[in-house]
Amino acid sequence: MSTTTKKKRMNKHTSALKGKFEAAIDKLEQAKPFAKSLYQTEVFQLAIELASSDEGLIVLYQNAHRFDQAGVFHGGLWEDPTKMQPSFVGGSLRLKEGVNSILELLSEMRMLSIAKGDYLHSDFSQGEASAFLNEVLALNLDLLFPLQLEEGNTLLDDHMVRAHRLFQYLGKELSFKAIAEKIVQEIDRLTVQRPINTERILNMLDMSGQLVEVGIDEKTAAELLKFTRAAYAPTPLSKDAANQREYRLRLENAYDDEIEAEAKIFAGAMKDTGLVSSYHVVLLRFLNRKNSHIIPISIGLSETGIACFNAHKKLIHDIIQVSIYPETRQAIYGLALMLDRGILAQESLAHSLSTLFDLPIHAQVRQALARPEMEHGGISMNGLLIAGVVSVLGQPLGVGQGHNPTCQSARAISLWAQHGIDRLMDYITRAARDHSISMAFEGEVIHSSLLIDGIASKMDPDLDPVSTVLVPHLDKIYHEMMKRTLLRGEDGHKWVNPEFYGEWIPRGFLNAIDQMTLQVTNYPAFVKLFYATHHPDYNEGFKLVYPNPVGIFITNVHGELLGLHAVSIQRINKDKNGEFRIYFYNPNNDSGQNWGQGIKASVSGFGELEGESSLPFQDFVSRMYAFHYNPFEQGDTYMVEDILVEEVQALAKDSWGRNYVWA
Amino acid sequence: MEMVESKERVTALLGWSLQAIEAIDKLGRPYVVVGPPEFTAFAEANGIPFVPWQFDQPIERADELYETLKEKSTKLAVPIYEETVEWAGTLNAKFRNDPRIFKKSLLLRDKGLMKRRAQLAGIRVGIFEEAYSKDDIYWFFKRVNETLLKIDGETNDPIHVKPFDKAGTVGHRMIRDPRDVDKIDDSEFPLLMESHLEGQEFSCEAFIHNGKAMFLNITEYVELGHSNFIPASPSLEKWRPQITVEIEKLVAAFEIDYGIIHPEFFLAPDGTLYFGEVAARVPGGHIFELMEKAYGFSPFQAQVLCSDPDTTQEQLEAFFPVEVVSAQGIAGSLMVYPNVKKVNKLDIPEELKNHPYFDKHDMFIPITSKVAERVGFGNHYGTIFFFGKDSDVMRTLMKKYEDYNFYL
Repeated sequence: MSTTTKKKRMNKHTSALKGKFEAAIDKLEQAKPFAKSLYQTEVFQLAIELASSDEGLIVLYQNAHRFDQAGVFHGGLWEDPTKMQPSFVGGSLRLKEGVNSILELLSEMRMLSIAKGDYLHSDFSQGEASAFLNEVLALNLDLLFPLQLEEGNTLLDDHMVRAHRLFQYLGKELSFKAIAEKIVQEIDRLTVQRPINTERILNMLDMSGQLVEVGIDEKTAAELLKFTRAAYAPTPLSKDAANQREYRLRLENAYDDEIEAEAKIFAGAMKDTGLVSSYHVVLLRFLNRKNSHIIPISIGLSETGIACFNAHKKLIHDIIQVSIYPETRQAIYGLALMLDRGILAQESLAHSLSTLFDLPIHAQVRQALARPEMEHGGISMNGLLIAGVVSVLGQPLGVGQGHNPTCQSARAISLWAQHGIDRLMDYITRAARDHSISMAFEGEVIHSSLLIDGIASKMDPDLDPVSTVLVPHLDKIYHEMMKRTLLRGEDGHKWVNPEFYGEWIPRGFLNAIDQMTLQVTNYPAFVKLFYATHHPDYNEGFKLVYPNPVGIFITNVHGELLGLHAVSIQRINKDKNGEFRIYFYNPNNDSGQNWGQGIKASVSGFGELEGESSLPFQDFVSRMYAFHYNPFEQGDTYMVEDILVEEVQALAKDSWGRNYVWA
Repeated sequence: MEMVESKERVTALLGWSLQAIEAIDKLGRPYVVVGPPEFTAFAEANGIPFVPWQFDQPIERADELYETLKEKSTKLAVPIYEETVEWAGTLNAKFRNDPRIFKKSLLLRDKGLMKRRAQLAGIRVGIFEEAYSKDDIYWFFKRVNETLLKIDGETNDPIHVKPFDKAGTVGHRMIRDPRDVDKIDDSEFPLLMESHLEGQEFSCEAFIHNGKAMFLNITEYVELGHSNFIPASPSLEKWRPQITVEIEKLVAAFEIDYGIIHPEFFLAPDGTLYFGEVAARVPGGHIFELMEKAYGFSPFQAQVLCSDPDTTQEQLEAFFPVEVVSAQGIAGSLMVYPNVKKVNKLDIPEELKNHPYFDKHDMFIPITSKVAERVGFGNHYGTIFFFGKDSDVMRTLMKKYEDYNFYL
């Protein structure tokens, strides 16, 4: 009895709000464009009230087809639905201050209205709106599933409760099938790049477990299962093991052929997905004690890898013993790839690796490396550092900058892991021991410990151990070097890059932007020189030997300039269609982005190696603003056809070029 | 022929206010907005006739503005903000070829001159002096309390200080103790000092045309700078005849012919009215919004119409409703100031939101969640609007939430 009256009263409350909200929308609609802002506040306030109940959300949806006509988004970033980007939604919804979170919610309602055909938009189709929302849900799975309040036991702010309610609503309205497909795509896209840091992928997997229970189609479920198995328990013996102890006991009692089968399956799952199960650790540590001859099988080594393994059995044994723990399981993948690269044949590396076992680690470095879960598992700081080194050496293109603006530093670590291993090991050793490294710039030594500022004011801790140890120093030194070139009237990278990254970087350098006028100057010459130095048809056949650090403009799906970014060209080759492509390393570990104008960096399907992205030569050039070149290894610029230049220039002018004056 | 010509003559709004622009746009009169240059792009994009102008420069440059406006056939300037009152004065003086209009506007921009003028005209004011240093304030505070025959140990009567030329409560401070004087920065001087007047404070908004008040609104203050409502309660409205007389005196004393005046008065328990100050622009405290809510006409439009000598008596009579009796209800606003350094959360109690008098509020967690320090009475962060029938219920409601911490 009392519940019914309560329910009735709630309905009355909502219907009162509904009346007010619709009246506010009417008033807004009647206002001239310049006066819309006077009436938007009331719409937002009432929307906040309505969004605090499920039936209120329905009221919002019922009006969503009118939002554009009335001017709910007039004059703001949400005005044009075709310009919405799924990746921004989560951030806006989570913003406590101001009106962004409620605007974002209303924008999703508008999308839903388009997706369901209740609102016909001339430039945005039903299908596009559905795809948009599916991606939004896939990117914010944590909002899609019911709140686990007992977990954190902290009360959520109103705007977060609202965001959860919105996602429950969207989840009901959209098909879980489509969302699941999107999630699988997203996981696939991320894993194919083989990042060292897999946290984001594991989070998505955790979340998607609940999706399988809701019911999704078989093909998607199978795909998801592939990843989940690899990350958790891919083998017959691990499948229903209750915990690591039980699995270890099972191994003790298993026959040799069973163990070998386990080893093969683990290796396969890992190679297939780049993800490592913690049972894999148990097996490897077990083999390390009892059956070391199965180790190469268990990590799927190539012939080179096996040779390296055999030549350094003692070292590998110690590495596994000290650094391969369930918490550092991803390093198994790094270990396999490191051995396959054959770099242990360099005696200096074996030596520097072995010094890390007893290296005294600086207190501040310990603090930076420490993670509660690591302490729990009992791994030593040295073990953690070695696991990090193994990962970086095995997956040089898996180094990521995390949420830090330190693409330069990530790029340096990646480059050294490929071509400057001694230098990298030297920096790691010194940074870990002394909490300081030094580099020379134009004859003067710069000590990181004497510098205060870097580009990043605060480090996001979500980094691999090597980056955690090195990036703060690299960032400061890089920043200092750039400061010293400030008044030279030319882009400082010209001098800084060869000294910072090392002798691998050629001294020739060109920037399309004149640093004095900040105008795009002599762009055709810029394009021609790049073709003449890098395109195999024009550069007299000089091959790119070392990665070339280049500056690119990052643009969004509409070709609008988002900012400057640093990537490295890894190689330039013909793809299977006979088209020249630029294969590059992007330190943001999220390379499959859409840059607008049909330029979509791909991470697989065109012969990309793990961690590489690629673009057709011309598309890449249209986003580049600076590169290094070797003036002694180039063809003739006059051989580059004008039509090529014109095509690149057209792409450039109509994207980032809109933000610049063209001299 | 005559009609067409006068129709083409343009009204200039001095100061950027979307509400004012919308109101004049709806009147269908030709207009031009004179405002800070940062609005140029917006005005252009929205087809709003616009002249970019900085008002914080010497008034002598008004000639330049006058020439620009004359080219656009402007015949009338209407001030929106306190800072534009003398600009309107000097422009209207030129438009109407009457230099005294400018002089008169200056009277309204200097609280010291304003008080003297009122006193000369026999309007009752408290005692006041001008202060050029902290010593002046200590002295005035001491002398006022001596005058009141305070014995040592008795609580001093407060005094008030405020800048000569700032709108409303900006820079207004109450001095209860010599220590309060120390908080004043030297840069705030000169200041006008006034004795504290006991009694009920309220404001009037009188729309004047041809020297006659066409509509007189009384705004009841529940708490100065915090809460007010329109129309006033019967206990204040019963003094309307006396208040009307005071308004007439004021209009005569300041020789106001056209536009709006927004004076503040104190009503002593015995019915004596003391004059506080007067401004000739759009009042603060959301008073125009409240008037529109209560009466249904746009006070911005009323201001434009009353500022224009060419508006006819008939037009105005048709425009204005009858005071008090034609109000649809009582509209009130409660202005909210955060009591915290950094805003983390909003707390609008359900009980308030469900109150039948609750109309709306405009509070969000501010983007820069660090709260700006408040100087004097300062600016409020958010407003809660009420609407209802009974002034007692309204006052009780406002009192109840006066000190509530909406920002946590």
